[in-house]
Amino acid sequence: MIGFVRNRVLLPVVGVLTVLAVWEATVVFYRLPPIVLPSPWAVAATLADLVGTYAFWRDVAVSLYEFVAGYAIGVVLGVAVGLLIGEWRVFRLTVTPVVESLRFIVPFAWIPLTILWFGTSFTGKIVLVAYAVFFVMVVSTARAIAHVEPTLTRVGTMLGMGPWQLALRVHLRAAAPTLASAARAAAAIGWIAVVAAEYIGASAGLGLMITNAATSLATPVVIAGMIVIGLIGAGVSALIGWLARRQLVDR
Amino acid sequence: MSAGDLVLDRVFHHYFSAGRRVDVLNDVSFRVGAGSVACVVGPSGCGKSTLLGLAAGLLRPAGGSLTWDDAAVRMGPNQHLGMAFQQPGLFPWMTVRQNVAIGLSTRGRSRRDARAIADEFLDTVGLSEFKDAYPSHLSGGMAQRVGIARALALKPRLLLLDEPFAAVDAFTRLKLQQEFKSLLRLNRPTVVFVTHDVPEAIALGDVIVVMTQRPATVQRIIPVAREDRDRASPAYGRKLAETLECLGVKSENEES
Repeated sequence: MIGFVRNRVLLPVVGVLTVLAVWEATVVFYRLPPIVLPSPWAVAATLADLVGTYAFWRDVAVSLYEFVAGYAIGVVLGVAVGLLIGEWRVFRLTVTPVVESLRFIVPFAWIPLTILWFGTSFTGKIVLVAYAVFFVMVVSTARAIAHVEPTLTRVGTMLGMGPWQLALRVHLRAAAPTLASAARAAAAIGWIAVVAAEYIGASAGLGLMITNAATSLATPVVIAGMIVIGLIGAGVSALIGWLARRQLVDR
Repeated sequence: MSAGDLVLDRVFHHYFSAGRRVDVLNDVSFRVGAGSVACVVGPSGCGKSTLLGLAAGLLRPAGGSLTWDDAAVRMGPNQHLGMAFQQPGLFPWMTVRQNVAIGLSTRGRSRRDARAIADEFLDTVGLSEFKDAYPSHLSGGMAQRVGIARALALKPRLLLLDEPFAAVDAFTRLKLQQEFKSLLRLNRPTVVFVTHDVPEAIALGDVIVVMTQRPATVQRIIPVAREDRDRASPAYGRKLAETLECLGVKSENEES
C-alpha cells in the first residue's frame, strides 16, 4: 500500500510539480511578460474560465469527433489490409511497394492537399487521421501476422480450419497483443494529426482554438489549449491501452 | 491396400535453408495397415517430423506418393486426422478446455458436445484440474498432454504423434502409455508414433520403423509380437537389443 502510494501518487506528483516549479521560476527569474510566457497560475485561471464556456467544449467535441471517426476507419482498414498482406502472397507483392512508399509521406505533408480537396470541413481531418492510423496499423498487422508461430498454423489446419478460419481465428488472434500496442501508438499519432490539421485549416477544434488565441496574442489560452490537447491525448492513449489489454492480451 | 491404410511410396523431401538445399527424406517407403501402430525411431533431426507433416497433408512431398484410404493424401484440413505436435502449439488465448474443444467445434460438433468430450479426454490425460487454466500456466509436460488430449478427442481415423511423451516425466509417461493403449483399442485408428524411446516403441508399436541419419531412408522394419512386450521376458530383451543395434547402439553398452 505504501509502495503503491509512493509509486503511483507521490512520484508522479513530484514530477509534475518539478515542471511547474521550473516554469514558475523561469517566469519570475527572467521577468517574462504574460504575453511571452504566463505563469502557471495565470494559465490555470484561464483554463478554469475556458471550461465554463460553450465554445471550448464545442472545440473539444469537434476534435474528438474527427479523431474517433478517423481512428475507427484507419484501424479497421489497416488491420484488414495488413491481414490480407500477411495471408495472401499475390496481394503482398502487389501492395507492399505502395504501402512502403506512401508510409514515409508523413500525414502532415498531406494537409495542404486535404485542405484543397475537403476545405476546412471535418472530412479532411477524418481522412488525415485515418491515413495516419492506417499506415501504423497496416505495417504492424502485416508484420505480426507474418511472425505468428508456424506450429499454430499447422495445429489449426490439423483441427480442420480452412484458410479463412486460420486467418481470422488463429493468425489475427495470435497477433492481437501486437495489434493492441500498435493501436495505442496509432492513437497518439492520430490525435497529433487532428490537432496539426486543425492548426492549419479548420472551422472548429482545439487546433483552431490555439491558432486563434495565438493571433490575438492570448498566450495563456494558447498554453491552456496545449495542456488540454496533451491531457486528452494521454487519456485517449491510456483508454485504448486499457481496452486492448482487457479484450485481447493473453492471460 | 484398403481403407485405413497409410502407404508411403518412394517419398523424397527437402527444404531450403539459407539458400542451400537440405535433403531430409531420401526414398522412404513403408505401409501402416488399418488399425495398427507404427513407431518411427531414428536419430534426432533425421526427418521424422517431416514424415508426419507429409502424412498429415501439411507438407507436399518433393517426390513420391503418400496414400490414405486408397487416395493421395490431400493438402489442407483433413477430417480423418488427429495429430499431436512435438511443440504442443496450444492457442495461448484459450483455456486448456477450449484448446481441446475447438477442433471438435470446427468439425461441426455442438459447443456442448465439444466441451463434454474435451473434459473426458482431459480426464484421461490427468488434467481435469487444469481445464480452466491458460497454457502459459502449464509445464512443458502438461502442455504436451493437452496436445495429446486434443488429438485423441477428435477420435481420428489416422492419428499422428510426434514424440508426444517427450516432455512428460518418466512415471506419468508409463501411465500415459497404458492409457493410450486402451484408448487405441476403443477406436482402432491407424497410428504413426514418432519416438526416441525404444522401450516405448516396443510397448506401443505393432511395427518399428527404424530410420537412418538424414537424408533418411528406412533402415529396417521390425515387427513386434505380443510376447515381445513383456518386459520380464527374454523376447523383450532381444527386441530391444535388435532395435538398438539398428540404431548403432551395441548391446554390451546397454542396460537390459
